[in-house]
Amino acid sequence: MSNLLSQDIESLAEFLAHALELEVESAERYRELADNMRVHNNLEVSELFHKLAHYGDTHAAEVEQRAVGFELPYISPWDFKWSCPEAPESPCMEDAHYMMTKCQALELALHNEIRGRDFYAQVANRSSDPAVREAAAEMAAEEDTHVNMLRAWVAREACVAVSRPPDLDPPHMPE
Amino acid sequence: MNAPATTPALRAKDYKSDIKPIWCPGCGHFAVLAAATKALAHLGLPKEQVALISGIGCSSRLPAYIDSYGFHGVHGRALAVAAGLKTARPDLTVLIAGGDGDGFSIGGNHFLHACRRNMDMTYIVMDNEVYGMTKGQASPTTAPEWTHSKMTPHGTGMRRFQPAAMALAAGATWIARGFSGDPSELTRLLVEAIQHPGFSLLHVLSPCQTFRPEQKQWKEQVHPFADSNTGDPVAAAQRIHADDGMALGLIYANHLPVWQPRNQATSSIAALEEEFRV
Repeated sequence: MSNLLSQDIESLAEFLAHALELEVESAERYRELADNMRVHNNLEVSELFHKLAHYGDTHAAEVEQRAVGFELPYISPWDFKWSCPEAPESPCMEDAHYMMTKCQALELALHNEIRGRDFYAQVANRSSDPAVREAAAEMAAEEDTHVNMLRAWVAREACVAVSRPPDLDPPHMPE
Repeated sequence: MNAPATTPALRAKDYKSDIKPIWCPGCGHFAVLAAATKALAHLGLPKEQVALISGIGCSSRLPAYIDSYGFHGVHGRALAVAAGLKTARPDLTVLIAGGDGDGFSIGGNHFLHACRRNMDMTYIVMDNEVYGMTKGQASPTTAPEWTHSKMTPHGTGMRRFQPAAMALAAGATWIARGFSGDPSELTRLLVEAIQHPGFSLLHVLSPCQTFRPEQKQWKEQVHPFADSNTGDPVAAAQRIHADDGMALGLIYANHLPVWQPRNQATSSIAALEEEFRV
């Protein structure tokens, strides 16, 4: 498991601010990918990303609900305490391709879900605040159920490692 | 850097327009869009106080995707349009977005004089070393040995244009290089660029997945600048000339007088009409 935390998170409000950003960013990115796939006529993957965005919205709403009564600190976009350049559960844009398959999209989602789970688990292991440890452990457990759901989904699709199908209309055009 | 005292009223997603980007999936420009919306949210800028100006090219589509004032202008003329706007409306935060071809080839002359003039504007150049919208020709920042275009089957044979060196020589007062693969740091740089009083150049390495798929390797090649002495132009010049083109961070920042026309009429319309009366 790679280290996903640059510094320890030491208060519940700070942790919830991180969790909210993680979930909102993830949902936004899936929505962006879904829209982009639609533009490029990859409707099957677009639909899948829309579903994942919807799940992300649900998780973000759950965190928001949990944060009721807390005054969450404002954290500048570059001051979040994850060690990766973006929120750990956000799919990396550069991993997308207009011809990506449903299986590749599911693998991408699984990879991100594992990172989300590992982030929460590391917070749970490292924070000195028992309330943070407890909340992070709960969220890590919840993320673990998402990881297992996605693994089952990948299995249902009988995904095998395949490269992208040949591009019958490649970008390099004769000049 | 000044952080807002309270949570910004608008979130980054509130600055996104309803128009869906048509960039290729995997394009680096998505990260620039995300950084721009996050920077605007961080600074708490009202949408009606921001104007995004662009020229032509994939990256120049950025203003359409941000919910603020925008102007998608003529190829290479974004800086000229922006200077006109800033002259007329100095109260606006003016951002200019474009690519390496639009900014350094077609708009090369405007680039030099925008640096020299030092108006309070921020120029974001998304550099992918290729003309993507016209299907992959060499741009001013393309390596001389790049042979993948039928227009340059033996490579361009020309040295690359050096944006940071040119900007420094021409008088830009804030110069930095960011990378779309590090959106958080890109956001931080963009906030700093917008806050800088004067002309700021944010040169962004933004891979083109379609015509330059080998740029996926940039992630492994980028590295921070070795030293951080950014206030001294001589040190900045040395840093730029020792650079392999993949160093990231602030290169130069200096506070010099900002040029802003006073917009005070020296003559009335009636007096001018009188002058031209035959």
